[in-house]
Amino acid sequence: MKSLVRMMLLVLVLGFALMYGASALNSSQGYSGGNTLTIYNWGDYIDPELITAFEEETGIKVIYQTFDSNEAMMTKIEQGGTTFDISVPSEYAISKMKEEDLLLPIDKTKLPNLKTINPRFMNLSFDPDNAYSIPYFWGTVGIVYNTELLKGLELKSWNDLWDASLRNQILLVDGAREVIGFGLNSLRYSLNDTNEDHLQEAKAKLEELTPNVKAIVGDEIKLLLANEEAAVGVVWSGDASEIIGENDKLTYVVPEEGSNLWFDNMVIPKTAKNIEGAHQFINFMLDPEHAAQNAEYVGYSTPDEKAMELLPEEISSDKRFYPKPELTAKLEVYDNLGKKMLSHYNELFLEFKMHRK
Amino acid sequence: MNHRKMKFSNVYLWVVFIILYAPIFYLSYYSFNSGGTMHGFDGFTLDWYKEVFADTRLLVILLNTLVIALFSALISTILGVIGAIAIHRVRKRKNQNALLSLNNVLIVSPDVIIGASFLIMFTIIGIKLGFVSVLVSHIAFSVPIVVIMVLPKLEEMSSSLLDAARDLGATEWDVLTKVVVPFIKSGIFAGFFMALTYSLDDFAVTFFVTGNGFTTLSVEIYSRARQGVSLSINALSTLIFLFTMLLVVGYYFINRRGLVSGRVERNMDWGPPNK
Repeated sequence: MKSLVRMMLLVLVLGFALMYGASALNSSQGYSGGNTLTIYNWGDYIDPELITAFEEETGIKVIYQTFDSNEAMMTKIEQGGTTFDISVPSEYAISKMKEEDLLLPIDKTKLPNLKTINPRFMNLSFDPDNAYSIPYFWGTVGIVYNTELLKGLELKSWNDLWDASLRNQILLVDGAREVIGFGLNSLRYSLNDTNEDHLQEAKAKLEELTPNVKAIVGDEIKLLLANEEAAVGVVWSGDASEIIGENDKLTYVVPEEGSNLWFDNMVIPKTAKNIEGAHQFINFMLDPEHAAQNAEYVGYSTPDEKAMELLPEEISSDKRFYPKPELTAKLEVYDNLGKKMLSHYNELFLEFKMHRK
Repeated sequence: MNHRKMKFSNVYLWVVFIILYAPIFYLSYYSFNSGGTMHGFDGFTLDWYKEVFADTRLLVILLNTLVIALFSALISTILGVIGAIAIHRVRKRKNQNALLSLNNVLIVSPDVIIGASFLIMFTIIGIKLGFVSVLVSHIAFSVPIVVIMVLPKLEEMSSSLLDAARDLGATEWDVLTKVVVPFIKSGIFAGFFMALTYSLDDFAVTFFVTGNGFTTLSVEIYSRARQGVSLSINALSTLIFLFTMLLVVGYYFINRRGLVSGRVERNMDWGPPNK
């Protein structure tokens, strides 16, 4: 009994000591004050130096938390219990959050830096007039391929994926919208197509692709491609720039038939406590210099025109990540298809996944 | 014949251990890689360890994780021991089994469901997500484990031991503190350490109930992994692996000492052990 009590005391003392250590570390960072801003962002999706710069400029302390999927983030915000002041969902999540009344309107008079955003990225179908969201990063879906493993074969269009020489060489991201989308695109249909005949056609075409598909995977696709486990991958542009950064034998192409254009936008969830600070932060991130610094760090494309000019030539002139207007005109944003259509897409995708080689 | 059989089982055991430990050693090996990735070892460096210690946010999260593990293990041990004794005292075998099954259901039910239910419960009650919510949910999933670890020890205890104590004039409190608890001590320690490790590595439940700037290591590593795991995570994982190794070794020695001294005590007090 004595030794148990001794052990208990030891654990208690150790626990409180660690707790004290944690709070001391925390307050050395200045987190204990009242003026804080809680940011909920994707993992590794901001240059940490910018957070420090923001803290120094405004005196607001930033609590930074991360999530890994729109769905997880939405669940947390919907349930309440946390006070996130800023979040960065993707476009389809924004329209869903709007529907569910999870967002606060943005006061654009507090965002003088908004004027440098390329109008092309404003006033889009998922948030007319940008009442609730401000662009953060954008990108495309396209093909990453290893020029060395393909021995100089150049991929330009979605239809090149069906080439017999690519047998068992392709990795696909595990996303219904992405895969069904490029199936539709390869037939020159819109990736928001809801015509049943077109969808069946796309599915039939995708099933012909199965001999070439090595696997359908999640985030590990980056590692697999960088390690040359497969020669071709269908990925998002931001992932692509990261993979290319790790292995320069790889290159990225946005297929000529067109593809998906996606956005991650900054929003203020209805749980926000520091609404003033949230606007300050959005304005801070919109500053061309900060936007450029962030784009250089993260590797995704900035929607800020002024920031483009500040970026190193080799980044801003990279046609793979800042495609020419002729191509961007062909890119489409995912529409909110509604629950029924979306589950139909999921079903088709599932059938494709189950199709035997 | 017998000899050869032994050899085969040894080989089998080694193969299993190698499979279990290889990923951990692979990970640790690359934590010393001066190149930035997990393919190709460029040279030895301690930079990733330096990075871990320079990252205050990560250190705070690490400390939080340890605090939660220690407190939740301690509290759930106390609750679990009380629970195990209570279940043991239930007279009817049928009722006892029913209670035990209820306890086991909590162990086998998926973490995701426990986590989601806690999230819903906390938000309905209005408890802010953070330290308290994580602590409470960790206690909740640890208690059944402690019960399971302690109960066999109680079953092992012969009831004549308790009768003897009572005959010698011990009050119920004396029986509990001087006979029962010392007898089940190794079970209590086992339960404590199990709860500790469960709390350290739990992801699914914790994922749902963290919030307001409070997070634990498993959740943090998971969201960082989205952008590819940095080698500083390898370094941190290595450190934690060493820490848990130390815990296990420590537990082993405590346990062995307990066993040895227990035997000696019993020998002295009651003559040769009756088993």
